[in-house]
Amino acid sequence: MINLAQKDISHTFGKFVVTAMGVGMLLGIVLIMIGVYRGLIVDATILVHDVSADIWVVQEDTLGPFAEASRIHEDLKNTLKTTQGIDKAEAMTFQNIQLYTNNKPLRVTAVGYDPFGEINPINAEHLIEGRTLKQSHYEVVVSSETGLKLNEKINLGRNQYTVVGITKKTVASSGDPLIYLSLKDAQEVQFSFSNATIRNDKARGNAQQSDLHLVNAIVCSVKKGYNIALVANDISQWKHLSTFTQDEQEEILIKNVVEKSSKQIGLFTVILVIVSTIIIGLIIYTMTLEKIKEISIMKLIGIPDSIIIKMIVQETVLLGFFAFVFGNIFSYFTYDKFPKRVILEVPDALMLFGVILVASVIASFVGVGKVVHADPTVAIGG
Amino acid sequence: MSTQQSIKIENLVKEFGKGDSLLRVIDGASFTVNKGELIALIAPSGAGKTTLLMMIGCVINPTSGTIWLGDEKVYEDKWITHNSRKIRREKIGFIFQAHYLIPFLNVIENVTLVPQTNGVSEKQAKADAMKLLEYLDIADKAYSKPSALSGGQNQRVAIARALANNPQIILADEPTAALDSARALSVIQMLKKIATEQNVAIIMVTHDERMVQRCDKIMKIENKKIVFETVDVPS
Ligand SMILES: Nc1ncnc2c1ncn2[C@@H]1O[C@H](COP(=O)(O)OP(=O)(O)OP(=O)(O)O)[C@@H](O)[C@H]1O
Ligand SMILES: [Mg+2]
Repeated sequence: MINLAQKDISHTFGKFVVTAMGVGMLLGIVLIMIGVYRGLIVDATILVHDVSADIWVVQEDTLGPFAEASRIHEDLKNTLKTTQGIDKAEAMTFQNIQLYTNNKPLRVTAVGYDPFGEINPINAEHLIEGRTLKQSHYEVVVSSETGLKLNEKINLGRNQYTVVGITKKTVASSGDPLIYLSLKDAQEVQFSFSNATIRNDKARGNAQQSDLHLVNAIVCSVKKGYNIALVANDISQWKHLSTFTQDEQEEILIKNVVEKSSKQIGLFTVILVIVSTIIIGLIIYTMTLEKIKEISIMKLIGIPDSIIIKMIVQETVLLGFFAFVFGNIFSYFTYDKFPKRVILEVPDALMLFGVILVASVIASFVGVGKVVHADPTVAIGG
Repeated sequence: MSTQQSIKIENLVKEFGKGDSLLRVIDGASFTVNKGELIALIAPSGAGKTTLLMMIGCVINPTSGTIWLGDEKVYEDKWITHNSRKIRREKIGFIFQAHYLIPFLNVIENVTLVPQTNGVSEKQAKADAMKLLEYLDIADKAYSKPSALSGGQNQRVAIARALANNPQIILADEPTAALDSARALSVIQMLKKIATEQNVAIIMVTHDERMVQRCDKIMKIENKKIVFETVDVPS
């Protein structure tokens, strides 16, 4: 039997391809939207992943240090080190600061860690240039997203720092690029009051000492053979601190930071899929209208509806299929041009493929309706 | 009922519109066309020739009456057949004033579409179609699209399409209007040959006196009824 859909499409192939490319771009945007969502999740947890601690110890009754502010004493690290089950413990700070690069403000998240400590938040896999910190002062490792180059000098607070290393794709859950400082520098930036503040506070009779021994969290690793949850539970019960395992910390980040954007992006994706379905439906409708005379003739010479409907449905599904292929090509060549991380995953594409197949079949109904109601005498017209 | 009867019409009425705009085009037509007969249908424009052919072809609904195709009663004040399209593709060949070929199919696909729908194998359908196309002197265009053919060439393809399903009845609405007189004559000779050799009943609308002379009978629509005349063969 002659495949009518294939014949019709090859008859107007150029038009078909251009149409499929147009719809394909729309589907490409859908894929990128999903990719942005996947990227958000990865970005949100990349820091926690890189630190790769078993337990995060933070200020009592807080969801710190990312979802809520948390301040604890640096010394606690020594107490924790002697706690049963704990292998390593290191103090860290996390804070948002504003950098000025080429006189342009740039928001970054600064991670303070002890360059001589046992837990390093810089993942060697992400370090693409230079080295990690080797001195306790005035060195900084930055994420390539900051645009800073190796050996470049930047001002932070009252001091000047040298870029000694560059990491790639390291961002905070907010999407801001990360920079890494020594713990002492970070504490100074975070906790030391400026001269003006000290003067003002004195004037108000409320003089405070800068406490340079605070940190935002202490990250610990657990010895082999110990149950992480039990160790964490012990710490929170006896030391009046809040603890989170790596999984819990990730969960907090994903929940607090990503949930809203995921709803937003999910809604966007759903709307785009509906729009694509409507557009495919409209295209098939006009394609059917253009062929209405031929459809009338076929009905007139006795071709059953089933064969004509098969043609319409096959054309729609083919359009959906080619649009999907173009969508993948389009997203593949554009995804790394987006400022935020976009992650294209095969299961997402397959899911979209299924959705598009169903959508195309639904979209073909309007064309099929036209076929069923086409009057065979239109062809002869008197 | 005679086994020779191919089309039998009784008291056929066709009205268009309703109320004030009601138009009765055919008013109680009764006639029989036998197998193997080539009938010329002659009537002025607007008399209802196309309407009559389309009712016989089960395409448009009569208002009342009875239609027999072969020994099957297909209409009696309502359709008795529940698959008029099957009747069309198995029993009837249509030729229209314009060729009405499917533009996205090439010539041989246009000709083999109906036979293949009827279950004839692609190979067989193509072989049969090539014979018809050769007979109609258009075989060299078998793999061209209709848009690449002239009006007359397309009309010959349309004739091949109408013959491809070995119909028992051919309904032809001015089939030779788009052809030059030499080709028109050869088409009429072919229709005549098909009528006699394959026992096919053919009703052909024509205005051309030379075509009429080749036919067995003349059918006219007069006073919205059907009358027959014999053919005057010039000496
Ligand atoms: N669908 C329709 N609705 C209303 N009136 C119609 C319709 N089809 C045909 N008619 C009317 O029926 C009459 C017969 O039309 P028909 O097309 O059968 O004429 P014809 O003999 O084939 O004419 P021609 O030689 O010009 O082709 C005309 O008056 C026409 O206006
Ligand atoms: Mg007519």
